[in-house]
Order: sequence, then C-alpha cells, then structure tokens
Amino acid sequence: MMTRPMIPAGAALMLLTVFFASCGTLPVIRPLDAAGTQAAEERCRLPFLEAPHRLVHAIEAGSPERAMGTVLGVTLFDPLSGIVRSAILTLEGFVLFDARYDGGVEVHRAFPPFDDPHFGENMMDDIRLIFLAPQGRLLRAGTLDNGAIVCRYEDPRGRTIDVMVRPDGAWEIATYGRQIERLRRVEALSVKNRIPEVVALTGFFTVNYRLHMTLISAEPVSPGDIRY
Amino acid sequence: MMITNWLRHEVIVFFAVMLLSCFPMPGWAASWEEVQKEAAKITSINARFTQSKHMTILAKPLVSQGRFYFQAPDSVRWEYASPVKSILLMSRDGIKRYTLGSRGLAEDASGSLQSMQVVLRQISQWSRGRFTDNEHFSATLKGGKERKIILEPREKGMAKMISRIVISLSSDRPGVLESVAIFEGEGNHTLFAFTDVVVNAPLDESLFRKPQ
Repeated sequence: MMTRPMIPAGAALMLLTVFFASCGTLPVIRPLDAAGTQAAEERCRLPFLEAPHRLVHAIEAGSPERAMGTVLGVTLFDPLSGIVRSAILTLEGFVLFDARYDGGVEVHRAFPPFDDPHFGENMMDDIRLIFLAPQGRLLRAGTLDNGAIVCRYEDPRGRTIDVMVRPDGAWEIATYGRQIERLRRVEALSVKNRIPEVVALTGFFTVNYRLHMTLISAEPVSPGDIRY
Repeated sequence: MMITNWLRHEVIVFFAVMLLSCFPMPGWAASWEEVQKEAAKITSINARFTQSKHMTILAKPLVSQGRFYFQAPDSVRWEYASPVKSILLMSRDGIKRYTLGSRGLAEDASGSLQSMQVVLRQISQWSRGRFTDNEHFSATLKGGKERKIILEPREKGMAKMISRIVISLSSDRPGVLESVAIFEGEGNHTLFAFTDVVVNAPLDESLFRKPQ
C-alpha cells in the first residue's frame, strides 16, 4: 500500500532550496606568517574604541529595499565593562526607548513599536556588535581576496564573527549562525579618528532589516556616566 | 497599528506646545476668554525654532533647529534644518513627512501619518484658543510674577509619556515667551524656543503641500 508523503515533493524541494539559499560558505581567509598574523590581530581592534564614548546618530530604519522612517539614537558604551546605555528618540525629541545593558537588559522606557519584550535584547545585541570587540575566541586572522585584513571569532553562542578592516580604514563585520547562515552585516564608512561617519547594519535570516546610521556627534565619557 | 498610537499621542502634544508657543499671548494671564479673543486674530505664523533635548545620558542638550509655518485653520509646515533635514506637511489634503537620508529627500514610507487627522482637529481647536476643550490635557493659567500655562495629562496612559508641559511667559514683555518645556519624567525634557516670529503675513499655499 502506498502512503502519501506528508509534504508534497515539490514543496519539500522548495523548502530545501530556501534553506540552502539562506546558508553559504564563509569567506576564504588567506593565512599570513606569524608577524603578519599578529599585525592583523592588532588591526582588527581598530573598529573598537578602548575608552567609553557617547555617540549620537540619525538612524534611518527600514528594509534593505526602502527606508521607513528616521529616529535619533543616543548610545553610551564602556568597552572595559561592556556596559551599554541607549535611547531612541523621535526627531521631535520624544523618547521612545531607553535601556541599559549590564550582562542583561534593563528597560527604563519603551513605547510602541519598541515595547516588544525582545526588542531591547536584539537592539543591545546590534549595538554591542557594532561598538564592542567580539567576545569569544579568535579562530584565525589573515587577509581576504580584496586585500582587507580579517579576524574570525567564535562567540560563546557558537556564532562566527568576521571583523574586516580595509586598507582605507573602513571596516566591516559579518556574523553567521551555526549553519553558516548570514545573520548580520555591519559596514562602516568614512572613518575619521577611528569613528565612522556612517554605519549601515543589515539583519538577515528571520527578518530582513536595515539601519543606516549617520553620526551627529561623538565624545569620550567617563565610566561613571554609564553606571546608571 | 501600534506605531500610529504613539505617533498620534506624541504629535498631538508636540503640536500643542508648538502652537501655544507661537501665538501672541497678551491676554493669556487674564482669562481663557481673552485667549480665544486673541487667537481669533491669528491667520498665519512664520517663525524659527530651536529645540533642545535634555536627557540624563546627555552631557549637553541635543539641539535641533528649523522653521515653522502655520496657516489658519489647520495647515502646518514643521521643517527641521539640522541635525536631520525633515519636513512635515499638514493640510486638508493630508499629512506627509519627508526626510533627507541615504536615498535623498524621501517621503516617509511607514504610512502611519494618515492617522494624524486627529492632530488637524486639535490644531483647529487650538488655533481658536480653545485649549480647555482638549481631551488629553487639562490646562491651567497661572498669573502673578511668574506667569505660566501648565498642561497636565488627563489620562494615566498619556501621563506615562508626558508628565507635564510648562509654558512660561515673560513677566515684563507681554506676549513674549520665556520658555516652553515638555517633561517626560526620568530627567528627560524638551525645551522649545521660537524666534523671528512673524504673525499674519501672507504665506504661499505651496509651503503646505510641497517639501521644496
């Protein structure tokens, strides 16, 4: 007796196609000699400031295809402690979201559409990805085909993080899941004094979104400014 | 849907302050009747504004500047020049926002601005000096040396967003504002200042329909 498959063959094939299309391979890293590897590791630290800073950005949010709206973002971070404080404001100055990260997310103020319980965690993940050096172990360092220096890390959650610094000082960060599916891509442009004037973050996989962040101001702060 | 809610409440408050700030107020310290009488004389307003956002996480305020136009009964152009160029147009034809971003000056694609028809109704009320009719805020006139108008939320939901709005009037210059402050709680407040205010000058209708 023949039984009908639970999923029609055509649909199963389509699902497999979608699954494999969302996965890929990691960029090939060309190895360097010992001195070159050490220099590459040092260069990979360039995107991440060592001192606490306060940055204000205009953030254009939307899908990769089109922008939906613009808000202002205020971000304070302390690279040493890993503490982050962040607020999102409308252009008119109304605070839509205000939260602090210190090992966990503490939300001080959240209004729709930023009041989803997971929003704060995801936002802090993105902020830490952009501004703080990756946690976890360095797998290898070398160069890419385009001449950029690259360092590949594996974080405690099993994600792969590639930090790439181009010869002109612009940098890029890409993260991948356990199946090498793309998760995030961060591109920093017009870098001056190690601070990019533009940062573009694209989120892939479950939800595609894009943040285009234009720097308004940047200034060093003391760790005490981020304490509360 | 949720976006429309925050946008509606926030913008209502925002325009309330904006309009209160711009109208000449020689009679405000006396009575609401005088306010309505004075407001009825206003047909248009054109002014520069400076918006200063104060927050506990900011060492110095975040300053935005731009220009404001109002044509009675309910046409508004609220235009930021810095730090982000953005233009909000409101007229009976509808409401649109344009923002300069990575794709040039583009119209807001969220589609949520149409819910702001309620703002137009509020503007129409306020432009006639009917501040006490507001469903979201109670209004109090305070006389004496420090003349103030205080708006306080009527509902708990609104109070979570805006705890108080204080409009301080100059004691020695009738009709001149000292400050307008929107308090959100937790050390956050926004100050608005208007300069070069021109009242009842003719305004081109295209100002309220075209971003440029």
